Amino acid sequence: MRSFFCRSADHGVSRRAFLGGAAAVGASAVADMTGLSVLGTPALAGEMKKKQKRVILLWLAGGASQLETWDPKPGASTGGPFRAIKTDVPGLQISELMPEMAKRMKTTCVVRGLNTRNGDHGGGAKMMMRGRMDVGPIRYPDLGAVLAREMGRADSKVPDYVTFYTQTEGRGSAPGDSGFLGARFAPMELTTNNVPEFIRKLDGITELDHAQRNDLRDLLSKQFTQGRQSDTLGSHNQAYERVRGIMASEKLFDITQEPQKVRDKYGPTQFAEQALIARRLVEAGVPFVRVARAWWDSHGQNFETHQEMVPELDHVMATLIDDLKERGLLDDVMVVTLAEFGRTPGINSSLGRDHFASAWSMTMSGGGIKGGAVWGKTDDKGNKVIDQEVSAGTLFATLYEALGIKHDKNYYVGARPIPLVDPGFHPIEQLLG
Amino acid sequence: MRSLCLAFCLASGVAVAADAPLPKLIDAAVAAKIQADDIVPALQADDHTLIRRLTLDLVGRLPTPQEIEAFVASKDVDKRAKLVDRLLGTAAFARYQAYLFDAMLNDRSGGKGGGGLQGYLTAAMLESRPWDQMFRELLLADESKAKGSSDFLRPKLTDADRLAAEVSVAFFGVNVSCAQCHDHPNVKYWTQDHFYGMKSFLARTFDAGGTVAEREAGLVKFKPTKGPERQAKLMFLTGAVVDTTTVRELTKDEQAKEKAATDKAKADKKPLPAPSFSARAKLVDVALDPKNADFFAKNIVNRMWHRFLGYGLVSPLDQMHSENPPSHPELLDALAKDTAANKYDLKRLIRGIVLSEAYSRGSRYDSEAFPLPTTFAVGRLKPLTPSQLATALKIANTDPKAFETMKPNEVEQRMDSLESQARGFASAIAMPTDNFQIGVNEALLFSNGDRVQKEFLTDGAGTLLGRLKTEKDATTAAKLMIQTVLGRPAADGEAKAFADFAARRTDRQSDSYRHMLWALVTSAEFRFNH
Repeated sequence: MRSFFCRSADHGVSRRAFLGGAAAVGASAVADMTGLSVLGTPALAGEMKKKQKRVILLWLAGGASQLETWDPKPGASTGGPFRAIKTDVPGLQISELMPEMAKRMKTTCVVRGLNTRNGDHGGGAKMMMRGRMDVGPIRYPDLGAVLAREMGRADSKVPDYVTFYTQTEGRGSAPGDSGFLGARFAPMELTTNNVPEFIRKLDGITELDHAQRNDLRDLLSKQFTQGRQSDTLGSHNQAYERVRGIMASEKLFDITQEPQKVRDKYGPTQFAEQALIARRLVEAGVPFVRVARAWWDSHGQNFETHQEMVPELDHVMATLIDDLKERGLLDDVMVVTLAEFGRTPGINSSLGRDHFASAWSMTMSGGGIKGGAVWGKTDDKGNKVIDQEVSAGTLFATLYEALGIKHDKNYYVGARPIPLVDPGFHPIEQLLG
Repeated sequence: MRSLCLAFCLASGVAVAADAPLPKLIDAAVAAKIQADDIVPALQADDHTLIRRLTLDLVGRLPTPQEIEAFVASKDVDKRAKLVDRLLGTAAFARYQAYLFDAMLNDRSGGKGGGGLQGYLTAAMLESRPWDQMFRELLLADESKAKGSSDFLRPKLTDADRLAAEVSVAFFGVNVSCAQCHDHPNVKYWTQDHFYGMKSFLARTFDAGGTVAEREAGLVKFKPTKGPERQAKLMFLTGAVVDTTTVRELTKDEQAKEKAATDKAKADKKPLPAPSFSARAKLVDVALDPKNADFFAKNIVNRMWHRFLGYGLVSPLDQMHSENPPSHPELLDALAKDTAANKYDLKRLIRGIVLSEAYSRGSRYDSEAFPLPTTFAVGRLKPLTPSQLATALKIANTDPKAFETMKPNEVEQRMDSLESQARGFASAIAMPTDNFQIGVNEALLFSNGDRVQKEFLTDGAGTLLGRLKTEKDATTAAKLMIQTVLGRPAADGEAKAFADFAARRTDRQSDSYRHMLWALVTSAEFRFNH
């Protein structure tokens, strides 16, 4: 009768073994951070051995125009002033504003057929960070939190989910959110500068005192943990155990540690510097980093905006892909470009383009996606998808599968099973590498 | 022999003398299941733990050292009931429970509802307003009769689907949203008719320029997974249907009138008059009709049980349905009946729960076979709420002498002020949910945050750290600190570890004491209500 509730005592025990007392936490340096997904699938051994994949999400906040990037319509009344250029993938053309990426499209998969049905910043950001909208009282975790949980390590010395969002546009409507996965997987958010809050000890305390007062804390807490079993208690002790490691990761956020040659390649802009930090982070094992670049919301002067911003995106993205490739990381690290939505093909009286969620584009490079692939076709003017339409659910199913996460696995909130992707959505097999 | 009989009686569905006091009723039912499952329950918590637990749970703060001492020393057999009755009578009880109700009613928005709601809830709790009356006021949202009540509905009016889901979850313990797009995949009982039936009661409600208004008529249509489009009835979760001629679209004329009236109401800053037929009022009537009131009564019992025991009789709280039976069905039934029969008196219910032995079990269990939470055989650890934690930090660094000369009402005033001072910090802490995880962000904030240092680890006049400067040696200081912060005597090993820590820092004694206080307030023992 209750087959849909995985509630057996066995599960209770194995889960506690992962999370319960401090001793158990110390002993379980396994791939999965919480052990919770042990509940999700019996094929545990295989899951644990999977290669650790990571994601850098370039979040084009405000909504970049697909017509000035990945799906140009030169000559159409909606096409705007820019040309399309050939790429290293035969038959694939992208905007002339992206000459660098044009030489690297073999690394990248373009999805042109997005129809995500949500044209406001808040709703669009929620949808595209989660692959679905919250229904009823369930708060879904976003992509970063899912990656943190799937790919992070219990004893990780680095944060699991980092998000840079320095510019103010759209920041309030697109916070990182771990939803029902809870604070354990909440993002480390950087909004004012490139050094995380509270990562550095206060000046008034010596290194020794900082470490030894923590030992004292640990002594008290271990004693309290004796004879007590609680997931929350486990997470509390684990959070403090991770503090010293996270503090040691401060240098990852310091680009002066990089050779000047590398810094020069990325360039001096904030977006470029944060992309470089993102590379340093994923290299050190951080499962998910989002770098938000805002001011794409071009309701007026769309073409000037894109003329200025797309070349920066082109340069940073190309440099990042090259850098990952040179380091042998591109097979495991996926670079994604995504936004709340795209922009209307119709050009308004302020020479702008407005919000548009029914036929827009995104990209995935590396990390298990098929490079050089193009999925989805829009009509001559870019008004609608005429072939291979992709919903947010399908996109997320594809993302998860490419990263080695079963899209139909369940999480459990208490005893309630919650699938990672809404039922009925399946990955696009043709795009999986 | 006696307990066997109780077990048998309960198992056979015959309540232990229906008019037995609530704690007895609870303990008989919990003991019966513990015996049936062949479990040895944890011992009762000691008095130090018990007064901390009760004070945190009922009024949201730590007890003062004097309150602890008096409680532990008292030989009065009724001391626990007297403590509970004293706490239930304080304004702090009303304030703290209102804070928890606010979080419960605004679960989705992280416990932050419209600004007036907490004020409404506090006023209602202060006068022990019955829960059914609060439900009615919150759904009628009439500001002229219940100030602040409309702040429950108003922030939710942008989305009728969500409104229907949230009202069902908060008041009936039922999450029908799975049935929004299709009949529930696993629970045969929940169909799309249930979801759209509940939505029909609420979809006529709209925000008329900052006030809650309702239309004379309305129609909710939905497309079932099979078959043609359907019109929803005003149907409650039990299947009870309210018969009305108002299930229809508004006419063009009515729509124009509504717009004019809304504009006028906005200009006059007055709410629109209530419609002659209010679907929302009908929802309240049908939900409270004794024929249908099971959901309403069981939900509040389950939520109060969860609030104080840390785990629901039905878990999760929003999954009250036939395929997810309660751990103790007869108990839930008996408590629901008792609550309904006693005019939904929350204090009576809460008093009954916290005076039970099930509530006062120790949270430590030194055996491999840790009992499942559904047995309530071990006290469950409850992470402190943001308000509890922030206020506790303030109290922890208060010189215990400060409370010595205070009368009880002065203590309450002082605590009220500490709670207000702590509110800013509380907003940086996450509200616990089921399966709550404490993240590294909190540990980093405590480890390296300037404000923790400045707000809670100062050593001026009236603080614990200030007081410790006058203690003659580190061991005395350590013992006083542990006793004050953790509310129990220091174990020898702890006092020694602390004194050793201080002994290595004789050149910087005040720093050393500050670090010791830090270790105490970041310890797991402090972070939880245990």
